[in-house]
Amino acid sequence: MVSSSQIDRLGDRLRFGQFTDDDLRELDAYRQSFVGAYEAVISSIRQELGLKPTGRPAKSTTSIVDKLRRESIRLSQIQDIAGARVVVENLQVQDQVIADFVRLFPLASIVDRRAAPSHAYRAVHLVVQVSGRTIEVQLRSRLQHVWAEVSEGLSVVFGVNLKYGGGPPEVRRLLESASRSIAMAEGLNTKIALLGEQRAVLEEQLVSILRLIANLKPSHHWSADDISS
Amino acid sequence: MIFLLEYDRRQGKLVTITSFPETARDKASAARLELELLLHEQGTQHEIVILEAHDQAALRLTHLRYFEDVRGIALSKPAG
Repeated sequence: MVSSSQIDRLGDRLRFGQFTDDDLRELDAYRQSFVGAYEAVISSIRQELGLKPTGRPAKSTTSIVDKLRRESIRLSQIQDIAGARVVVENLQVQDQVIADFVRLFPLASIVDRRAAPSHAYRAVHLVVQVSGRTIEVQLRSRLQHVWAEVSEGLSVVFGVNLKYGGGPPEVRRLLESASRSIAMAEGLNTKIALLGEQRAVLEEQLVSILRLIANLKPSHHWSADDISS
Repeated sequence: MIFLLEYDRRQGKLVTITSFPETARDKASAARLELELLLHEQGTQHEIVILEAHDQAALRLTHLRYFEDVRGIALSKPAG
């Protein structure tokens, strides 16, 4: 069993670009140690929740090095060495999946960036520990996902990672504006859905009242139940 | 299915994509490491990543950025 210190020293070599082929093999072995936990989480998501995640059993070396350089973090602290991504239709489905996931993994932590985005990035990350290994599931709505993919695409164009606050100010402003619009649109959609449900309930009540009225006879004796129902 | 992708971040281009059956994760991992060691020796900095999805169409829904540029992503039908 490799110690955290050994892993973190490896992380430092990666961070500073001073790594050898043996370091890459060591990193690969470290990534392989997440496979059991990853498989457990992925199969649960598929079988118990009926979702179709795209799994990423091992974070790429490039992404690991970027993260180490971008953040004050040790390699052993990186939570998304293994993970998955799930894209759902909207906020309501997203909320339901969160609730279902927590039922499946009661000790999971939820990083909800929908109301408090990170550099305009909105999504929910579900982080669960299995056998001492952390697995991160990115849960995005359709629109949140489009934003994230466009941001990644723009990062290629501008050579910087816009998802983490880099890039030209005008591009950042456009992405922030798009992110706010997505949040508003999704919020409105949720309200519309709720209003639709309320309308359906009111319509049922109206039908009941009309039936009651239609059955009235001159000799009808009103009871408290007739009036209150 | 398991997909091994080699992606050139600077160019924004997918260099290679190799698929493996679901049961061949060890083989895919070995191939990933072999490719990474080769590129490291060559001094080539490409992203090498393994992703697992039902098929390539499903992979494109969640990871379109490996297949399309920003224009293609922006004009695509969102996943879900």
